[in-house]
Amino acid sequence: MELVVALGLIVFKVALLIAILLLLPLPLTWLERKIAGHIQQRMGPMRVGWHGLLQPVADGVKLLTKEDHIPAEADRFLFKLAPILALAPPFVVFAAVPFGESVSVLGTKITLYISNMNVALLFVFAVIGIEVYGVIFGGWAANSKYAVLGSLRTCAQMISYEIPMGFAVIGVVMLAQSMSLLDIVRAQANVWNIVYQPVGFFVFFVAGLAESQRIPFDLAEAEGDLGAGFHTEYSGIRFAFFMVSEYAVMLLTSVLAVILFFGGWNGVLVPLPPLLWFLLKVAFFVYVFIWFRFTFPRYRYDQLMAIGWKVLLPLSMANIIITGVAFL
Amino acid sequence: MSRVLDRTGTWIGWAFFADLTNALALTFGYMFSRSVTMQYPDKEKWLPYSRYRGHHFLKRDDEGEIKCVACELCARICPCDCIEVIPYEDEKGNRHPAKFEIDMARCLFCGLCEDACPADAVALGQQYEFSSFSSRDLVIGRDDLLGKPGKATTGGGVVAARLNTEQDVLVETSEPQGYNWWRNIRRT
Repeated sequence: MELVVALGLIVFKVALLIAILLLLPLPLTWLERKIAGHIQQRMGPMRVGWHGLLQPVADGVKLLTKEDHIPAEADRFLFKLAPILALAPPFVVFAAVPFGESVSVLGTKITLYISNMNVALLFVFAVIGIEVYGVIFGGWAANSKYAVLGSLRTCAQMISYEIPMGFAVIGVVMLAQSMSLLDIVRAQANVWNIVYQPVGFFVFFVAGLAESQRIPFDLAEAEGDLGAGFHTEYSGIRFAFFMVSEYAVMLLTSVLAVILFFGGWNGVLVPLPPLLWFLLKVAFFVYVFIWFRFTFPRYRYDQLMAIGWKVLLPLSMANIIITGVAFL
Repeated sequence: MSRVLDRTGTWIGWAFFADLTNALALTFGYMFSRSVTMQYPDKEKWLPYSRYRGHHFLKRDDEGEIKCVACELCARICPCDCIEVIPYEDEKGNRHPAKFEIDMARCLFCGLCEDACPADAVALGQQYEFSSFSSRDLVIGRDDLLGKPGKATTGGGVVAARLNTEQDVLVETSEPQGYNWWRNIRRT
Protein backbone atom coordinates (compact mmCIF):
# COMPACT_ATOMS: atom_id res chain seq x y z
CA MET A 1 0.00 0.00 0.00
CA GLU A 2 2.78 2.38 0.97
CA LEU A 3 4.51 1.63 -2.30
CA VAL A 4 1.38 2.23 -4.36
CA VAL A 5 0.78 5.60 -2.73
CA ALA A 6 4.40 6.62 -3.24
CA LEU A 7 4.34 5.48 -6.84
CA GLY A 8 1.03 7.21 -7.51
CA LEU A 9 2.40 10.37 -5.98
CA ILE A 10 5.42 10.31 -8.26
CA VAL A 11 3.29 9.70 -11.34
CA PHE A 12 0.99 12.53 -10.29
CA LYS A 13 3.92 14.88 -9.74
CA VAL A 14 5.46 14.02 -13.11
CA ALA A 15 2.14 14.50 -14.88
CA LEU A 16 1.55 17.82 -13.14
CA LEU A 17 5.04 19.04 -13.99
CA ILE A 18 4.67 18.07 -17.65
CA ALA A 19 1.27 19.75 -17.85
CA ILE A 20 2.59 22.92 -16.26
CA LEU A 21 5.66 23.04 -18.49
CA LEU A 22 3.60 22.43 -21.62
CA LEU A 23 1.04 25.08 -20.74
CA LEU A 24 3.44 27.67 -19.37
CA PRO A 25 4.50 28.98 -22.80
CA LEU A 26 0.94 30.25 -23.25
CA PRO A 27 1.04 32.89 -20.51
CA LEU A 28 4.74 33.49 -21.16
CA THR A 29 4.25 34.36 -24.83
CA TRP A 30 1.38 36.64 -23.86
CA LEU A 31 3.56 38.28 -21.23
CA GLU A 32 6.46 38.60 -23.61
CA ARG A 33 4.35 40.25 -26.29
CA LYS A 34 2.70 42.54 -23.77
CA ILE A 35 6.01 43.64 -22.29
CA ALA A 36 7.47 44.05 -25.77
CA GLY A 37 4.51 46.19 -26.73
CA HIS A 38 4.65 48.43 -23.71
CA ILE A 39 8.41 48.87 -23.93
CA GLN A 40 7.89 50.03 -27.51
CA GLN A 41 4.90 52.20 -26.49
CA ARG A 42 2.49 49.84 -28.19
CA MET A 43 -0.23 47.82 -26.53
CA GLY A 44 0.65 44.33 -27.65
CA PRO A 45 -2.15 41.86 -28.30
CA MET A 46 -5.50 43.46 -27.55
CA ARG A 47 -8.17 41.86 -29.68
CA VAL A 48 -8.50 38.19 -28.66
CA GLY A 49 -10.02 38.07 -25.22
CA TRP A 50 -9.53 40.65 -22.47
CA HIS A 51 -6.34 42.53 -23.32
CA GLY A 52 -5.41 39.74 -25.71
CA LEU A 53 -5.28 37.09 -22.99
CA LEU A 54 -6.55 34.41 -25.36
CA GLN A 55 -4.07 35.35 -28.08
CA PRO A 56 -1.61 32.52 -27.20
CA VAL A 57 -4.48 30.02 -27.36
CA ALA A 58 -5.43 31.29 -30.80
CA ASP A 59 -1.79 31.10 -31.87
CA GLY A 60 -1.54 27.59 -30.47
CA VAL A 61 -4.61 26.45 -32.38
CA LYS A 62 -3.18 28.03 -35.50
CA LEU A 63 0.15 26.24 -35.05
CA LEU A 64 -1.52 22.87 -34.39
CA THR A 65 -3.74 23.09 -37.47
CA LYS A 66 -1.06 24.36 -39.80
CA GLU A 67 0.51 22.18 -42.45
CA ASP A 68 3.51 20.30 -41.14
CA HIS A 69 5.87 20.87 -44.00
CA ILE A 70 9.08 18.90 -44.51
CA PRO A 71 11.41 20.22 -47.20
CA ALA A 72 11.96 17.80 -50.10
CA GLU A 73 15.74 17.62 -49.69
CA ALA A 74 15.64 17.40 -45.89
CA ASP A 75 17.03 14.53 -43.87
CA ARG A 76 13.60 13.31 -42.84
CA PHE A 77 14.67 11.26 -39.81
CA LEU A 78 16.80 13.97 -38.23
CA PHE A 79 14.24 16.60 -39.17
CA LYS A 80 11.59 14.76 -37.19
CA LEU A 81 13.95 13.86 -34.37
CA ALA A 82 15.27 17.36 -33.74
CA PRO A 83 12.16 18.97 -32.19
CA ILE A 84 11.75 16.06 -29.82
CA LEU A 85 15.42 16.23 -28.93
CA ALA A 86 15.01 19.92 -28.20
CA LEU A 87 11.81 19.45 -26.21
CA ALA A 88 12.57 16.44 -24.02
CA PRO A 89 15.73 17.51 -22.10
CA PRO A 90 14.26 20.64 -20.44
CA PHE A 91 11.38 18.49 -19.22
CA VAL A 92 13.73 15.78 -17.96
CA VAL A 93 15.85 18.32 -16.15
CA PHE A 94 12.93 19.51 -14.06
CA ALA A 95 12.78 16.05 -12.48
CA ALA A 96 15.88 16.99 -10.52
CA VAL A 97 14.82 20.53 -9.69
CA PRO A 98 13.28 21.12 -6.27
CA PHE A 99 10.54 23.72 -5.83
CA GLY A 100 10.48 23.65 -2.04
CA GLU A 101 10.94 21.40 0.96
CA SER A 102 7.66 19.62 1.54
CA VAL A 103 4.06 20.30 2.33
CA SER A 104 1.67 18.05 4.21
CA VAL A 105 -1.65 17.39 2.54
CA LEU A 106 -4.20 15.26 4.40
CA GLY A 107 -1.57 14.03 6.81
CA THR A 108 0.79 12.81 4.10
CA LYS A 109 4.03 14.63 3.60
CA ILE A 110 4.47 15.56 -0.05
CA THR A 111 7.88 16.67 -1.16
CA LEU A 112 7.93 19.48 -3.70
CA TYR A 113 10.45 17.72 -5.88
CA ILE A 114 10.40 14.53 -7.89
CA SER A 115 13.81 13.25 -6.91
CA ASN A 116 16.54 14.46 -4.62
CA MET A 117 19.66 13.41 -6.49
CA ASN A 118 22.96 13.90 -4.80
CA VAL A 119 24.47 14.94 -8.13
CA ALA A 120 21.46 16.97 -9.29
CA LEU A 121 23.57 19.86 -10.54
CA LEU A 122 25.69 17.57 -12.68
CA PHE A 123 22.55 15.90 -14.00
CA VAL A 124 21.02 19.25 -14.90
CA PHE A 125 24.04 20.39 -16.87
CA ALA A 126 24.50 17.02 -18.54
CA VAL A 127 20.91 16.76 -19.72
CA ILE A 128 20.41 20.36 -20.71
CA GLY A 129 23.47 20.02 -22.93
CA ILE A 130 21.50 17.56 -25.04
CA GLU A 131 18.92 20.23 -25.83
CA VAL A 132 21.48 21.95 -28.03
CA TYR A 133 21.65 18.85 -30.23
CA GLY A 134 18.03 19.42 -31.17
CA VAL A 135 18.95 22.86 -32.42
CA ILE A 136 22.01 21.62 -34.26
CA PHE A 137 20.24 18.63 -35.85
CA GLY A 138 17.23 20.72 -36.77
CA GLY A 139 19.31 23.24 -38.63
CA TRP A 140 21.41 20.56 -40.31
CA ALA A 141 18.50 18.36 -41.36
CA ALA A 142 16.49 21.16 -42.92
CA ASN A 143 19.06 21.45 -45.71
CA SER A 144 18.66 25.19 -45.90
CA LYS A 145 21.51 27.65 -45.83
CA TYR A 146 19.98 29.83 -43.15
CA ALA A 147 19.23 26.87 -40.92
CA VAL A 148 22.72 25.46 -41.34
CA LEU A 149 24.27 28.81 -40.51
CA GLY A 150 22.13 28.96 -37.38
CA SER A 151 23.26 25.46 -36.42
CA LEU A 152 26.92 26.23 -37.03
CA ARG A 153 26.65 29.26 -34.79
CA THR A 154 25.02 27.17 -32.09
CA CYS A 155 27.85 24.63 -32.27
CA ALA A 156 30.48 27.27 -31.63
CA GLN A 157 28.34 29.19 -29.17
CA MET A 158 27.60 26.09 -27.11
CA ILE A 159 31.26 25.41 -26.33
CA SER A 160 32.00 28.99 -25.43
CA TYR A 161 29.22 29.32 -22.89
CA GLU A 162 28.81 25.81 -21.48
CA ILE A 163 32.34 25.82 -20.05
CA PRO A 164 32.09 29.15 -18.18
CA MET A 165 28.62 28.13 -17.01
CA GLY A 166 29.95 24.88 -15.60
CA PHE A 167 32.80 26.69 -13.90
CA ALA A 168 30.55 29.42 -12.52
CA VAL A 169 28.52 27.01 -10.42
CA ILE A 170 31.58 25.31 -8.93
CA GLY A 171 31.84 28.16 -6.43
CA VAL A 172 28.31 27.42 -5.30
CA VAL A 173 29.08 23.73 -4.97
CA MET A 174 32.16 24.56 -2.89
CA LEU A 175 30.09 26.72 -0.54
CA ALA A 176 27.35 24.14 -0.09
CA GLN A 177 29.73 21.15 -0.03
CA SER A 178 27.14 19.32 -2.08
CA MET A 179 25.88 18.98 -5.63
CA SER A 180 22.34 18.33 -4.50
CA LEU A 181 20.16 21.32 -5.34
CA LEU A 182 18.22 20.74 -2.15
CA ASP A 183 21.38 20.98 -0.03
CA ILE A 184 22.50 24.03 -1.98
CA VAL A 185 19.29 25.83 -1.07
CA ARG A 186 19.49 24.68 2.55
CA ALA A 187 23.03 26.04 2.75
CA GLN A 188 21.66 29.48 1.81
CA ALA A 189 19.17 29.64 4.67
CA ASN A 190 20.95 32.60 6.28
CA VAL A 191 22.91 34.30 3.52
CA TRP A 192 22.18 33.91 -0.15
CA ASN A 193 24.99 32.87 -2.42
CA ILE A 194 24.76 36.09 -4.43
CA VAL A 195 26.53 37.80 -1.52
CA TYR A 196 29.53 35.47 -1.73
CA GLN A 197 29.40 34.77 -5.44
CA PRO A 198 28.44 37.92 -7.35
CA VAL A 199 30.97 37.16 -10.07
CA GLY A 200 29.79 33.57 -10.27
CA PHE A 201 26.23 34.79 -10.67
CA PHE A 202 27.23 37.26 -13.37
CA VAL A 203 29.00 34.56 -15.37
CA PHE A 204 26.15 32.12 -14.83
CA PHE A 205 23.52 34.62 -15.89
CA VAL A 206 25.31 35.73 -19.05
CA ALA A 207 25.98 32.11 -19.97
CA GLY A 208 22.37 31.32 -19.16
CA LEU A 209 21.22 33.97 -21.59
CA ALA A 210 23.31 32.24 -24.24
CA GLU A 211 22.09 28.82 -23.15
CA SER A 212 18.44 29.77 -23.60
CA GLN A 213 19.17 31.26 -27.03
CA ARG A 214 17.73 34.62 -26.25
CA ILE A 215 18.73 38.14 -27.13
CA PRO A 216 21.45 39.38 -26.74
CA PHE A 217 22.84 35.93 -27.63
CA ASP A 218 20.18 34.46 -29.91
CA LEU A 219 22.65 33.96 -32.73
CA ALA A 220 21.11 30.64 -33.72
CA GLU A 221 17.82 32.20 -34.72
CA ALA A 222 18.92 35.77 -35.45
CA GLU A 223 15.78 36.95 -37.26
CA GLY A 224 17.60 39.86 -38.82
CA ASP A 225 20.31 37.99 -40.64
CA LEU A 226 19.24 34.33 -40.83
CA GLY A 227 15.53 34.38 -41.55
CA ALA A 228 14.57 32.40 -38.47
CA GLY A 229 17.87 30.56 -38.00
CA PHE A 230 17.77 26.87 -37.21
CA HIS A 231 13.97 26.61 -37.33
CA THR A 232 13.56 28.43 -40.65
CA GLU A 233 12.08 25.36 -42.31
CA TYR A 234 9.96 24.21 -39.39
CA SER A 235 6.25 24.78 -39.29
CA GLY A 236 3.19 23.69 -37.38
CA ILE A 237 3.55 21.44 -34.38
CA ARG A 238 7.30 20.92 -34.82
CA PHE A 239 7.87 24.65 -34.64
CA ALA A 240 5.69 24.73 -31.53
CA PHE A 241 8.01 22.12 -30.00
CA PHE A 242 10.97 24.43 -30.47
CA MET A 243 9.00 27.31 -28.99
CA VAL A 244 8.02 25.30 -25.91
CA SER A 245 11.61 24.14 -25.57
CA GLU A 246 12.90 27.70 -25.70
CA TYR A 247 10.53 28.83 -22.98
CA ALA A 248 11.26 25.76 -20.85
CA VAL A 249 15.00 26.49 -21.04
CA MET A 250 14.37 30.12 -20.19
CA LEU A 251 12.35 29.01 -17.19
CA LEU A 252 15.02 26.50 -16.23
CA THR A 253 17.75 29.13 -16.32
CA SER A 254 15.63 31.38 -14.11
CA VAL A 255 14.92 28.54 -11.70
CA LEU A 256 18.60 27.59 -11.55
CA ALA A 257 19.63 31.20 -10.98
CA VAL A 258 17.19 31.37 -8.07
CA ILE A 259 18.22 28.03 -6.60
CA LEU A 260 21.95 28.50 -6.98
CA PHE A 261 22.37 32.17 -6.15
CA PHE A 262 19.18 33.68 -4.77
CA GLY A 263 18.39 31.34 -1.92
CA GLY A 264 15.72 29.24 -3.58
CA TRP A 265 12.60 29.34 -1.43
CA ASN A 266 14.32 31.08 1.49
CA GLY A 267 12.56 34.37 2.01
CA VAL A 268 13.95 37.62 3.27
CA LEU A 269 12.23 40.20 5.49
CA VAL A 270 8.68 39.40 4.35
CA PRO A 271 7.40 36.06 5.72
CA LEU A 272 5.66 34.61 2.68
CA PRO A 273 5.06 30.92 2.00
CA PRO A 274 8.31 29.39 0.70
CA LEU A 275 6.77 28.28 -2.60
CA LEU A 276 5.45 31.80 -3.22
CA TRP A 277 8.89 33.25 -2.53
CA PHE A 278 10.35 30.82 -5.01
CA LEU A 279 7.77 31.62 -7.69
CA LEU A 280 8.19 35.36 -7.18
CA LYS A 281 11.95 35.14 -7.64
CA VAL A 282 11.57 32.97 -10.74
CA ALA A 283 9.00 35.38 -12.15
CA PHE A 284 11.41 38.22 -11.61
CA PHE A 285 14.12 36.44 -13.58
CA VAL A 286 11.70 35.56 -16.35
CA TYR A 287 10.81 39.23 -16.52
CA VAL A 288 14.48 40.16 -16.66
CA PHE A 289 14.94 37.78 -19.59
CA ILE A 290 12.09 39.44 -21.48
CA TRP A 291 13.25 42.90 -20.45
CA PHE A 292 16.75 42.17 -21.78
CA ARG A 293 15.32 40.93 -25.03
CA PHE A 294 13.68 44.24 -25.80
CA THR A 295 16.52 46.39 -24.55
CA PHE A 296 19.70 45.03 -26.07
CA PRO A 297 20.70 44.40 -29.64
CA ARG A 298 22.17 41.07 -30.65
CA TYR A 299 25.86 40.57 -30.08
CA ARG A 300 27.91 39.81 -33.11
CA TYR A 301 29.10 36.26 -33.57
CA ASP A 302 32.78 36.98 -32.85
CA GLN A 303 31.83 39.21 -29.93
CA LEU A 304 30.03 36.32 -28.27
CA MET A 305 33.14 34.16 -28.75
CA ALA A 306 35.29 36.92 -27.27
CA ILE A 307 32.97 37.33 -24.29
CA GLY A 308 32.82 33.60 -23.71
CA TRP A 309 36.53 32.87 -23.91
CA LYS A 310 38.21 36.12 -22.90
CA VAL A 311 35.87 37.40 -20.20
CA LEU A 312 33.59 34.73 -18.82
CA LEU A 313 36.10 31.88 -18.70
CA PRO A 314 38.87 33.80 -16.86
CA LEU A 315 36.29 35.35 -14.56
CA SER A 316 34.81 32.00 -13.62
CA MET A 317 38.31 30.53 -13.09
CA ALA A 318 39.27 33.44 -10.88
CA ASN A 319 36.03 32.98 -9.01
CA ILE A 320 36.86 29.36 -8.27
CA ILE A 321 40.37 30.24 -7.11
CA ILE A 322 39.22 33.09 -4.87
CA THR A 323 36.43 30.99 -3.40
CA GLY A 324 38.91 28.21 -2.73
CA VAL A 325 41.41 30.54 -1.07
CA ALA A 326 38.73 32.15 1.06
CA PHE A 327 37.41 28.71 1.96
CA LEU A 328 40.79 27.53 3.17
CA MET B 1 22.97 55.55 -10.07
CA SER B 2 24.32 54.57 -13.45
CA ARG B 3 24.39 58.20 -14.56
CA VAL B 4 26.52 59.07 -11.54
CA LEU B 5 28.90 56.26 -12.40
CA ASP B 6 29.11 57.56 -15.92
CA ARG B 7 30.21 60.93 -14.71
CA THR B 8 32.69 59.81 -12.06
CA GLY B 9 34.92 57.99 -14.45
CA THR B 10 34.85 56.03 -17.61
CA TRP B 11 36.39 52.87 -16.24
CA ILE B 12 34.15 52.67 -13.17
CA GLY B 13 31.14 53.07 -15.38
CA TRP B 14 32.56 50.49 -17.74
CA ALA B 15 33.22 47.99 -14.97
CA PHE B 16 29.68 48.24 -13.62
CA PHE B 17 28.08 48.23 -17.09
CA ALA B 18 26.79 51.78 -16.79
CA ASP B 19 25.76 51.77 -20.45
CA LEU B 20 23.77 48.58 -20.08
CA THR B 21 22.03 49.76 -16.90
CA ASN B 22 21.21 53.05 -18.61
CA ALA B 23 19.59 51.14 -21.44
CA LEU B 24 17.64 48.95 -19.02
CA ALA B 25 16.45 51.97 -17.06
CA LEU B 26 15.29 53.62 -20.27
CA THR B 27 13.28 50.66 -21.48
CA PHE B 28 11.86 50.18 -17.98
CA GLY B 29 10.70 53.78 -18.00
CA TYR B 30 9.15 53.35 -21.41
CA MET B 31 7.28 50.29 -20.19
CA PHE B 32 5.27 52.46 -17.83
CA SER B 33 4.75 55.32 -20.26
CA ARG B 34 1.44 55.61 -22.03
CA SER B 35 0.94 53.70 -25.22
CA VAL B 36 0.61 55.73 -28.40
CA THR B 37 -1.63 53.16 -30.07
CA MET B 38 -4.87 54.55 -31.43
CA GLN B 39 -7.33 51.67 -31.24
CA TYR B 40 -8.91 52.72 -34.46
CA PRO B 41 -11.98 50.82 -35.47
CA ASP B 42 -12.86 49.36 -32.07
CA LYS B 43 -12.54 52.09 -29.54
CA GLU B 44 -11.04 55.25 -30.93
CA LYS B 45 -11.06 57.31 -34.05
CA TRP B 46 -8.98 60.16 -35.40
CA LEU B 47 -10.61 63.48 -36.18
CA PRO B 48 -8.72 65.11 -39.01
CA TYR B 49 -7.43 68.66 -38.93
CA SER B 50 -9.29 71.37 -40.82
CA ARG B 51 -6.58 71.39 -43.48
CA TYR B 52 -7.05 67.67 -44.06
CA ARG B 53 -7.71 66.64 -47.67
CA GLY B 54 -10.21 63.83 -47.62
CA HIS B 55 -13.29 63.05 -49.70
CA HIS B 56 -14.43 65.85 -52.04
CA PHE B 57 -17.66 67.72 -51.45
CA LEU B 58 -19.60 70.30 -53.45
CA LYS B 59 -20.85 73.46 -51.81
CA ARG B 60 -24.19 75.27 -52.11
CA ASP B 61 -24.63 79.02 -51.94
CA ASP B 62 -26.98 80.84 -49.55
CA GLU B 63 -30.04 80.18 -51.69
CA GLY B 64 -29.29 76.49 -51.72
CA GLU B 65 -28.21 76.55 -55.31
CA ILE B 66 -25.13 74.60 -56.27
CA LYS B 67 -22.13 76.92 -56.35
CA CYS B 68 -20.40 75.15 -59.21
CA VAL B 69 -20.47 77.04 -62.49
CA ALA B 70 -19.21 74.07 -64.51
CA CYS B 71 -16.19 75.94 -65.85
CA GLU B 72 -14.32 72.62 -65.89
CA LEU B 73 -11.13 74.20 -64.53
CA CYS B 74 -10.93 71.46 -61.90
CA ALA B 75 -11.19 68.81 -64.60
CA ARG B 76 -8.47 70.63 -66.52
CA ILE B 77 -6.01 70.95 -63.68
CA CYS B 78 -6.60 67.46 -62.27
CA PRO B 79 -3.29 65.60 -62.66
CA CYS B 80 -4.93 62.22 -62.82
CA ASP B 81 -7.86 63.25 -64.95
CA CYS B 82 -10.46 61.91 -62.58
CA ILE B 83 -13.07 64.70 -62.70
CA GLU B 84 -15.70 64.77 -65.40
CA VAL B 85 -18.01 67.79 -65.68
CA ILE B 86 -20.86 68.26 -68.19
CA PRO B 87 -22.49 71.70 -67.98
CA TYR B 88 -26.06 72.81 -68.63
CA GLU B 89 -27.82 76.18 -68.54
CA ASP B 90 -30.80 76.68 -66.24
CA GLU B 91 -33.85 78.93 -66.80
CA LYS B 92 -32.07 82.02 -65.47
CA GLY B 93 -29.19 81.45 -67.83
CA ASN B 94 -26.68 80.31 -65.19
CA ARG B 95 -24.21 77.54 -65.92
CA HIS B 96 -24.35 74.55 -63.62
CA PRO B 97 -23.04 71.01 -63.83
CA ALA B 98 -25.46 68.43 -65.21
CA LYS B 99 -22.92 65.83 -64.33
CA PHE B 100 -20.04 66.19 -61.89
CA GLU B 101 -18.27 62.92 -61.34
CA ILE B 102 -15.09 62.26 -59.41
CA ASP B 103 -13.39 58.88 -59.66
CA MET B 104 -12.10 58.49 -56.11
CA ALA B 105 -10.14 55.41 -57.11
CA ARG B 106 -7.91 57.55 -59.32
CA CYS B 107 -7.85 60.72 -57.25
CA LEU B 108 -4.54 61.43 -55.48
CA PHE B 109 -5.99 64.04 -53.11
CA CYS B 110 -3.63 66.80 -54.21
CA GLY B 111 -6.30 69.47 -53.71
CA LEU B 112 -5.51 71.27 -56.99
CA CYS B 113 -9.21 71.24 -57.95
CA GLU B 114 -9.96 73.13 -54.75
CA ASP B 115 -7.26 75.70 -55.55
CA ALA B 116 -8.33 76.09 -59.15
CA CYS B 117 -12.03 76.54 -58.49
CA PRO B 118 -13.04 80.17 -59.22
CA ALA B 119 -16.45 79.79 -57.56
CA ASP B 120 -15.22 78.13 -54.34
CA ALA B 121 -17.53 75.26 -55.15
CA VAL B 122 -15.47 72.10 -54.74
CA ALA B 123 -13.23 71.25 -51.83
CA LEU B 124 -11.70 68.27 -50.06
CA GLY B 125 -13.43 67.56 -46.79
CA GLN B 126 -12.84 65.57 -43.64
CA GLN B 127 -14.23 62.18 -44.62
CA TYR B 128 -11.59 59.48 -44.96
CA GLU B 129 -13.53 56.24 -44.60
CA PHE B 130 -14.84 55.38 -48.04
CA SER B 131 -13.21 52.10 -48.96
CA SER B 132 -15.25 49.89 -51.22
CA PHE B 133 -15.27 46.39 -52.62
CA SER B 134 -15.81 47.65 -56.14
CA SER B 135 -13.92 50.45 -57.83
CA ARG B 136 -17.14 51.25 -59.70
CA ASP B 137 -18.69 52.39 -56.42
CA LEU B 138 -15.88 54.88 -56.02
CA VAL B 139 -17.13 57.03 -58.91
CA ILE B 140 -19.12 59.64 -57.02
CA GLY B 141 -21.76 61.73 -58.75
CA ARG B 142 -22.92 65.33 -58.22
CA ASP B 143 -25.75 64.65 -55.79
CA ASP B 144 -23.64 62.43 -53.55
CA LEU B 145 -20.88 65.01 -53.51
CA LEU B 146 -23.35 67.66 -52.34
CA GLY B 147 -24.16 65.53 -49.32
CA LYS B 148 -20.60 64.80 -48.24
CA PRO B 149 -19.28 66.29 -44.99
CA GLY B 150 -17.30 69.49 -45.28
CA LYS B 151 -14.05 70.65 -43.77
CA ALA B 152 -13.36 69.77 -40.18
CA THR B 153 -13.85 72.65 -37.79
CA THR B 154 -12.15 71.37 -34.65
CA GLY B 155 -10.20 68.29 -35.44
CA GLY B 156 -6.75 67.00 -34.73
CA GLY B 157 -7.72 64.70 -31.90
CA VAL B 158 -8.72 61.21 -30.89
CA VAL B 159 -12.31 60.52 -29.88
CA ALA B 160 -14.02 57.46 -28.52
CA ALA B 161 -15.70 55.51 -31.28
CA ARG B 162 -17.52 52.25 -31.85
CA LEU B 163 -17.32 49.84 -34.75
CA ASN B 164 -20.72 49.10 -36.24
CA THR B 165 -21.00 46.30 -38.77
CA GLU B 166 -24.75 45.80 -38.77
CA GLN B 167 -25.37 47.19 -42.24
CA ASP B 168 -22.25 48.77 -43.60
CA VAL B 169 -19.01 48.97 -41.79
CA LEU B 170 -19.21 52.21 -39.85
CA VAL B 171 -17.06 53.73 -37.19
CA GLU B 172 -19.49 55.77 -35.16
CA THR B 173 -18.59 58.57 -32.86
CA SER B 174 -20.60 61.27 -31.15
CA GLU B 175 -17.96 63.42 -29.56
CA PRO B 176 -17.12 66.59 -31.47
CA GLN B 177 -13.67 67.06 -29.96
CA GLY B 178 -11.07 64.57 -28.86
CA TYR B 179 -7.96 64.53 -26.77
CA ASN B 180 -4.66 65.57 -28.24
CA TRP B 181 -2.99 62.38 -29.32
CA TRP B 182 0.48 63.91 -29.26
CA ARG B 183 0.42 64.40 -25.51
CA ASN B 184 1.05 60.66 -25.07
CA ILE B 185 4.26 60.63 -27.00
CA ARG B 186 7.32 60.43 -24.83
CA ARG B 187 10.28 62.14 -26.40
CA THR B 188 13.35 61.21 -24.38
